Amino acid sequence: MQPVVLIISLILMAALSAVFVAAARASRGPAPGPGASAKRSGLIWVMTILGVIVSVASLREWPHALAGTGDALEVNVSGGQWWWDIDTTEIPAGKPVNFNVTTEDVTHGMGIYDSSLTLLTQVQAIPGYTTQITYTFEEPGRYQILCMEFCGVAHHDMVNEFEVIAAER
Amino acid sequence: MNTISENYVPGHAAAAPQAGAVKLTMVLSGAVFALMMVFGLLMRAAQGQWIDLDAALFYQLLTAHGAGMVGTAALSGAAIMWYFCGRHLVLSGGIFWAFLGLFLLGVVLILGAIFIGGYGGAWTFLFPLPALSGGAWEAGAAAAFMLGYTAIGVGFLLYYLELGRRIHARYGSLVRALGWNLILGREDNDPPPPAIVAAAAVTIFNSIGIILGAAVLVASLVHLLVPGFEVDALLAKNLIYFFGHVFINASIYMAVTAVYEILPEYTGKPWKSNRLFAIAWNAVLIFVMAVYWHHLLQDVVMPPWMLVVGQLVSYFSGIPLIAVTAFSTFLYVRGSRMTWDLASSLLVLSVAGWSVGSIPASIDGMISVNKVMHNTMWVPGHFHTYLLLGEVVMAFGFMAWLVRGKTISQMDGLDRAAFVTYLAGAAGFVTVFLFSGAASIPRRWAVHYEEWLAHDRIGTLFGGLVVLGTLVFVLRFAARLGRREG
Repeated sequence: MQPVVLIISLILMAALSAVFVAAARASRGPAPGPGASAKRSGLIWVMTILGVIVSVASLREWPHALAGTGDALEVNVSGGQWWWDIDTTEIPAGKPVNFNVTTEDVTHGMGIYDSSLTLLTQVQAIPGYTTQITYTFEEPGRYQILCMEFCGVAHHDMVNEFEVIAAER
Repeated sequence: MNTISENYVPGHAAAAPQAGAVKLTMVLSGAVFALMMVFGLLMRAAQGQWIDLDAALFYQLLTAHGAGMVGTAALSGAAIMWYFCGRHLVLSGGIFWAFLGLFLLGVVLILGAIFIGGYGGAWTFLFPLPALSGGAWEAGAAAAFMLGYTAIGVGFLLYYLELGRRIHARYGSLVRALGWNLILGREDNDPPPPAIVAAAAVTIFNSIGIILGAAVLVASLVHLLVPGFEVDALLAKNLIYFFGHVFINASIYMAVTAVYEILPEYTGKPWKSNRLFAIAWNAVLIFVMAVYWHHLLQDVVMPPWMLVVGQLVSYFSGIPLIAVTAFSTFLYVRGSRMTWDLASSLLVLSVAGWSVGSIPASIDGMISVNKVMHNTMWVPGHFHTYLLLGEVVMAFGFMAWLVRGKTISQMDGLDRAAFVTYLAGAAGFVTVFLFSGAASIPRRWAVHYEEWLAHDRIGTLFGGLVVLGTLVFVLRFAARLGRREG
């Protein structure tokens, strides 16, 4: 997802920047005509309609939806300054995993990275709460848990790993 | 070379004592901006392994950089809005001096907490981290840090009380100052100018933000003194992010008054309040307070409707910015035959940077995107865009205008070089952050893996250009301050 997000963002940012450059250059051109107000109204409508479409499309399926407990493997992860504890070291590929995440001290962020250091999903670990996310690993291999919420002087050392193994046939 | 447009008659200049206080504030702001940028540069160089920084010192610099930049953005924004409200209101200079004094007291406490006490809990002081340092700092350092925030907050409340009181006295009510007569189509022979509409809105939302921030500061302080006193961590996080989000946004919304009041001197067209402008500002008043949930999109125990509101408002708050402020800037500039000196160039750039920065922010505000972008370098990528190329540039533009002189002339060679250097540096710096976010590099990490070093080193080079451009802007301002009045 990240490369797509980057490309879309850079295109939109470049387009808006180009409009500003064009406006600056147009300072020597003719003054805006009477149609400017209609253009502004059109822009507001386009942005509104686009916003509704994108919002509905991106929220129709709840991004934080959890797999049913009968279908998923339950994995408990707890964090503290500055360690992660995972109650299993091997997770089967292709099966939804419900991560139940807690913290023993301050707020942490559990970010799951694949072997190429790409962030796959994350959730905050909040004192006094158990937070849950579901993720299905498609590929066997080594995965890491990195801390995504600043938690003190060894925040960057708060790393652990687990293995995803091929599903039994 | 041309003189100030004869078509436009600005309001009377700010009263002399306030102008002096504002200039002093801008000198301090410029100096602190430069120092904090150097801190930022050191952190990027350390992440790139070009220099060796102890992790504890890195996180102290991180804390100072965050608190210093946010505080200085707010300080400079407040000075700008005070200056231009002084064209329409009679404001008490004593209040501004008290505000500035409390701010400086806060700075001393914060710097002492960080560099003497070793506090490195980040500017967001996320509960209960200040009390649980793992041995890196003592409770006294955390308390000094939060007392520093408290002093600054009290100063800002004084500032807003004075503004609100004077706006009420001049316009009868904050509702009228928010442009509700324009919205409802009622006759108003003395409609509030844009700076007053902005001041009324910011006074309301930032006062609420600071009061809620004070609540969590007090709770955190009590927790430091009495560890048995517990606060719900999620409630505290909500209060902190409400305060932090509103406060940093207020800095931009205060500074934009420079665009409203200065650009007309170049375009010859006064920036007037109208119905759309008033609607946009009233929308901003609501959006700024409702959008902070987009900081908590991975706190999955939050009620889902709050996260949905966070995503929706994150997107829709871009409409008043792009369709009203940015679009109006296009219209004012187009065909204006304006002269592009340093002040006007920086002010137009600031609206562009602010608007462009809203794009990656809105995209990150989508819950599904946020799952893989939250707390990566994407986040400093977007907020540096609308701060480094937005609020900070507004402040530099205002400073350039303050020392411009009575005639408007094209940029000279040094100004042009500084402008291009700053723009190239800042654009490159934030773009590297966005690439780093897309590469999943987590933010706020003192030590980076080998795979990430290229990002850090390229970012450091661009950061060097930013510091260079900033030094020219600030030194130029300081050197020219004594040359002319007002």
